[in-house]
Amino acid sequence: MPDATPTPSAPAQSAPAASAPAIVAEQLTRRFGEFVAVRDVSFKVARGEIFGYLGANGAGKSTTIRMLCGLLAPTAGRATVAGADVARDPERVKRAIGYMSQRFSLYLDLRVRENLEFFGGAYGLGGAALARRIDALLERVELAAQGDVRTGDLPGGLRQRVALIAAMLHEPAILFLDEPTAGVAPAARRTFWRLIRELAAGGTTVFVTTHYMDEAEYCHRIGMMTAGRLVALDTPAALKREHLAGSMFLVEGPQVAAALPELRRHPGVLGAQPFGAAAHLRVDPARLDGARLQRLLADGAHGALRARSVEPSLEDVFLALVEER
Amino acid sequence: MPPFFQRLGALAYKELLHMLRDQQVIYLALGMPLVMLLLFGYAVSFDVDELPIAVLDHDGSAAARRLVRGLEASDAFVVRDRVREAAAIEALMRRGTIRAGVVIPAGFARRLARGEQASYQLLLDGADGTTARIALGYAFGATAAAASDAGRGAVPLLEPRVRALFNPALRSALFIVPGLAAVIIGILAVLMSTITVAREWERGSMEQLFATPVDRLAVVLGKLLPYVAIGLLQLLLVLTAGAWLFGVPLRGSLATLLAAAVLFLAGVLGQGLLISMVTRNQQVATQLGAISGVLPNLLLSGFIFPPDNMPLPLRVLSHAVPARYMVAVMRGVLLQGQRLPQLWPQFLGLALVAAAFLTISTLAFRRSLD
Repeated sequence: MPDATPTPSAPAQSAPAASAPAIVAEQLTRRFGEFVAVRDVSFKVARGEIFGYLGANGAGKSTTIRMLCGLLAPTAGRATVAGADVARDPERVKRAIGYMSQRFSLYLDLRVRENLEFFGGAYGLGGAALARRIDALLERVELAAQGDVRTGDLPGGLRQRVALIAAMLHEPAILFLDEPTAGVAPAARRTFWRLIRELAAGGTTVFVTTHYMDEAEYCHRIGMMTAGRLVALDTPAALKREHLAGSMFLVEGPQVAAALPELRRHPGVLGAQPFGAAAHLRVDPARLDGARLQRLLADGAHGALRARSVEPSLEDVFLALVEER
Repeated sequence: MPPFFQRLGALAYKELLHMLRDQQVIYLALGMPLVMLLLFGYAVSFDVDELPIAVLDHDGSAAARRLVRGLEASDAFVVRDRVREAAAIEALMRRGTIRAGVVIPAGFARRLARGEQASYQLLLDGADGTTARIALGYAFGATAAAASDAGRGAVPLLEPRVRALFNPALRSALFIVPGLAAVIIGILAVLMSTITVAREWERGSMEQLFATPVDRLAVVLGKLLPYVAIGLLQLLLVLTAGAWLFGVPLRGSLATLLAAAVLFLAGVLGQGLLISMVTRNQQVATQLGAISGVLPNLLLSGFIFPPDNMPLPLRVLSHAVPARYMVAVMRGVLLQGQRLPQLWPQFLGLALVAAAFLTISTLAFRRSLD
């Protein structure tokens, strides 16, 4: 999961004050036969909020988003989006939202502009108004020159921006983005997130799923899913505070992975998780201070390990949550 | 413009772009009808030309020679061999040298001269039933002509004078091409339309489409319209080629034909879309499309086998096959010059089947991912 994208240093600005929530889910549940894909999920998303939905593949993120978009009927529970019930009035939901599905499903044999004209038409738009809107949006995502390019010839990052504006043509109040950055290069992902934050600042509510933990730092609030359950929901800072007691260290060394089971058993160690080629070690400073930690690492059976203090990331929160369960 | 038409227009235009961008579709849509027309038009022939025969003449009379000349005069037969005994005919036929044998008994001329009924034996190769049956027809005609010559002054024989209306020479191309045009267009329409919806399911664009407010009728009609246009183009192409290569006439009105073709295409495309919507899988859809496109169109349409001669269950089933009505319309308009007043049962059939397929496929088209 971690990759070359640097973790953004400053967390996103705090969420706007909630008026009437844009999205409400109450005990939302979806079964596929015996399998419960989403179980008793409840949350509210305020207008203008960027709400991140995190979890591993298969955790139930896409199923949740599909229910909220009126594409999949809930088995139990209910949800309202832009004031409309997703089960009873999916058509009203569809008019109010923009949806970018996991595979940013554009027609690859069509030109960029043809794709946008098609989706504009699907929303009942047309004529000069649609043409102006397309021009403005292409300009905004810096694709004005690519309007006549065959969509399949665009690199993934640019195609993803086209998919985003295809979902925005009808000026929806709420945008649902399902893994919008999957398979996109880190630089393109940063550009994309800048756009998302601009949109939210303009009042659009953004509900976004991702399995890139670093991206979650851009969100106002985050819901974490494992195995169909929403196991945590808060701002990034609060999540770290609540779920990551103690201090976090980055531990490096040639045999760090082999040393983890032994480290976990040591008194004062709250958690130890692989993190890229290194590991994140969380310790209770009252029981294991810096000097004793250094000694523990230097004398281990797995060669010399080095540790330095780091800021905890959302991935640490996620791993701690999975471990807790 | 009302949003429904805005959406319909966007969907139809998008589908048209897919078609134009895909060279395979163009080849399939415009090349295949011509290839099939040539294959069927030339290969499927019910005409019999210069069938080699052997003659065993026990009579040796002028009357016997006249009979053989009469057979040869029809161009259907050519005498390959003259033999001395009946066993030789069977041997030649087994070897494939001849396809039929004629045995003229002794006393043939004498009986004719006395005004008695004379007979000769025609041995046919039953292994090829189609050819045998056609040869039999020609032999009857030639014998009747010979008999009227021989029977001069004797008891006048009852003699049919046959004239095939609309196709005086009974050329099978004239009979085949109009039906073939309907069958080709029907098969291609099913083949092309089965993959369109399945492809969108597989590529995920269907999910994206469902998240928009397009209603399912717009999706179905939007898929349909460009393929109707292609189908009409194919029809004109096949008719032009049929007229040029096989001399197929257009005795009725082109407008009637095109109107029927629109209903016909709506029916076969509805069938293809239904398959596509239910399977959601290109491979399965292609296979089902090939089977359900080719078999009913070829076998239940009356293109080769008249529906009236089918066993009851198949005859009932044939009423659900749009090609059944279209084959009749094509022959009626092209060869017989029929107009709407005579064709309304066919038009009604086409309209009902089209309405049924489109209604079912629209209803079967769930706008959700369940």
